[in-house]
Amino acid sequence: MNGKQSKSAAPNACAVHYADGVVDDIMVVGVGGQGVIVAAAVIADTALLHGDLEVKLSETRGMSQRGGSVSSHIRIGKTVVAPSISPGEVDYLLAFEQAEGLRLAPSVVPGGVAIVNLQQIVPPLASQGEFAYPFDAVERMDDGSRRLIALDGNAIALEVGDLKVAGIVLVGALSTHLPFDVATWREALARNVPPKWKDLNFAAFAAGREAGA
Amino acid sequence: MDAHLMLGNEAVARGAWEAGVRVAAAYPGTPSTEIVTSLARYDDVYAEWSTNEKVAYEVAFGAAMGGVRALTAMKSAGASVAADPLISSVYTGVNGGLVVCLAGDPGMSSGMTEQDDRYFGRISSMPMLEPADSQECYEYAKRAFAMSEEFDVPVMVRLSIQTAHQKSIVRFDGEVGAGGGDDPVALRRPVPERRPPDRKTEKYCLLPKFSRPLHRSLLERVERLRAYAEASAASGELARAEPGTGAFARIGIVSAGAAAISAKEALPEASHLKLGMIHPLPIEAIREFAATVDRLFVVEELEPYLEEQLLAAGIACEGKRWFPQWGELTPVRVGRGLVAAGLDLPRWAEEKAAEDASVIPRPPVLCTGCPHRGMATAMKKLDLDVHGDIGCYDLTTLPPVSHMHSAVEMGASIPMEQGFTRAGGSEKGSIAVIGDSTFLHSGLTGLLNAVHQRTNVTVLIQDNSITAMTGGQTNAGNVRTLAGAQTKPVDIAAICRALGVEHIESVDPYDYEACVAALKAGHAFDGPAVIITNRPCMLFPSKLPGDAHYVVDEDVCNACQQCMKLGCPSLHHVEATHKGRHKVAIDSETCTGCSLCAQLCKPGAIKKAGDA
Repeated sequence: MNGKQSKSAAPNACAVHYADGVVDDIMVVGVGGQGVIVAAAVIADTALLHGDLEVKLSETRGMSQRGGSVSSHIRIGKTVVAPSISPGEVDYLLAFEQAEGLRLAPSVVPGGVAIVNLQQIVPPLASQGEFAYPFDAVERMDDGSRRLIALDGNAIALEVGDLKVAGIVLVGALSTHLPFDVATWREALARNVPPKWKDLNFAAFAAGREAGA
Repeated sequence: MDAHLMLGNEAVARGAWEAGVRVAAAYPGTPSTEIVTSLARYDDVYAEWSTNEKVAYEVAFGAAMGGVRALTAMKSAGASVAADPLISSVYTGVNGGLVVCLAGDPGMSSGMTEQDDRYFGRISSMPMLEPADSQECYEYAKRAFAMSEEFDVPVMVRLSIQTAHQKSIVRFDGEVGAGGGDDPVALRRPVPERRPPDRKTEKYCLLPKFSRPLHRSLLERVERLRAYAEASAASGELARAEPGTGAFARIGIVSAGAAAISAKEALPEASHLKLGMIHPLPIEAIREFAATVDRLFVVEELEPYLEEQLLAAGIACEGKRWFPQWGELTPVRVGRGLVAAGLDLPRWAEEKAAEDASVIPRPPVLCTGCPHRGMATAMKKLDLDVHGDIGCYDLTTLPPVSHMHSAVEMGASIPMEQGFTRAGGSEKGSIAVIGDSTFLHSGLTGLLNAVHQRTNVTVLIQDNSITAMTGGQTNAGNVRTLAGAQTKPVDIAAICRALGVEHIESVDPYDYEACVAALKAGHAFDGPAVIITNRPCMLFPSKLPGDAHYVVDEDVCNACQQCMKLGCPSLHHVEATHKGRHKVAIDSETCTGCSLCAQLCKPGAIKKAGDA
């Protein structure tokens, strides 16, 4: 589907959204340690908890915990075959870091949505001189070929109370584009975060929802 | 029925648990690790991280002989390590069911080669099932145990990395653990029965007298398995034929596992025959399917394993002519192959970029405070020929450290260093580098050989007290087992002494000068020398907070770049320059205070925060 926006939380919103053959291809990207895996689990669980939908997910392979690029693919629809998204078919790109957003930008379908966190993490390789870090990543992504939503997830997370929930702020921003109601999102959040941090995550999600709308 | 979103590996574990598995043994190896990690969470399964895959296989094999259902799991390279019992156990057969999970890595996300594991089925005559998604992982694991006991043979469940590491929906089919949710800890099952243990010399002692008749009965068993493959394909249980629609209905695709998923995504309108049993093949079922189409494609990852068997059976088909023999076979690669074969498929007509290759790459790096960094930098400084092994230290093969010259397979470092030394060595010296887990896996025998052959090898054991690269699994050097039991950690220095090494030095890898001195002393010693580092992994079993962080005095920094050669993710360039080179700053949030950068800083610009 091509970046269709659905803010409605009506019970049949999903049935309308996920007509036969419609699959939402959502890619979450970032740097190892940023919380990409948890964010992807929340998105996939929301679709699972909604029921009547097929959900498939696949993640970066290799040593992602050691500061490397991380990506997670989530595919949601009435029927989903492959667990990974094919090149150029991403409907929603959720980038936790600017350069990672820029790296995957070509994979977003024309008219798709890219939500980019303003955080910049310069990899050690930048000091070797061969590659320069793209400090203008957001400007470069804003070339009209996709809908760009840039937000300062880290600042919003700090306002809410903890930098750790920046990823959930971004999930909140994405949630306004998907046809699931807030109660289902909250249920999925509760499944994926420690109980003592549940309220903090709910607050981060709500703040992200506001920022991404 | 409840839907559960599970990793392929978790689903295998769940199926095995429902089937009554009692013993699970493995050595960690991506992409197979989560099978035994998951099984360890069930209270009533004995699960262990064995010292290597061969040992793991034999533990599971012995448990099956002892009358319970047992499982072992491994990556491709692990199957090569375990190949001896893997092949022999097909001769002996089993008592309780034995399931061998083998997870391959086309695309080499973490493997050193992309060998096609399906040939293990042919080389051993072990029957082989290949699931394509988590539901099948769950179902095939259960079926494999039943087959193993019915045919008195170990059964292989072969996974591709995609199948092992994707998550898809599983619906449990039985009463066992029904309604128990996703958390294995809370699940209960009836105590699985134990068969009387086997005490059968003629079955388990592979002396020629016994193994000759066993080979003949093995070949008879293959014929019975072939009949099973045909029957289960005809019934649709282990093969699924889906007639195509529209213009592509007369295009047929035969495939299995992850490749079948990619083929279905690439061309859903074709007629598909998805195989679930890939050794022996249900060749008559394939022949029947082939008769319903005009053009038959075989879509498979890596080697033409299916294609050659189809051609040998006289079934005309096209395969490797269109689809690459290397890497993962993703939907786009299948689609592009079909386009090349002349099919009109708009979705795959043009090559689309997956990413912008001009953006600075972000490969994984050694963590801040990693105890491997000091020695890597010291070896680079001494310009040694470095024979590495398998572990996180392989990350220093790449810039900026770039000091390693071989990293081939588990345990290779010490014998390769021995051979290299026998060849005459190198001017500045050579060294073997191996971690604690790999040393215990297959390093000991190499060191013993070097000592016995009186070769002056220098060996660095980077002991970080964990199997780090695969995610922090325990090994024989730890105080606890996977099952959580207290155990006696092995003393690596004492092992080396017992093997006959006379020069053994323990060194703090955060002390750069001590690292350099230890390397020099090891090389100077006349006889095999072992140096052991003594700092734990920063990441596993739990992330260490580290010490007070360090800061750079920008006025003193002369941008000499010595610290940047450490490849520490907490160091970065700032705007300010000196003679055209950028000065450096330290990220106070992530710095763990290992102080290596301060030790390398000639002008003394780096100081502990607060001391400055």
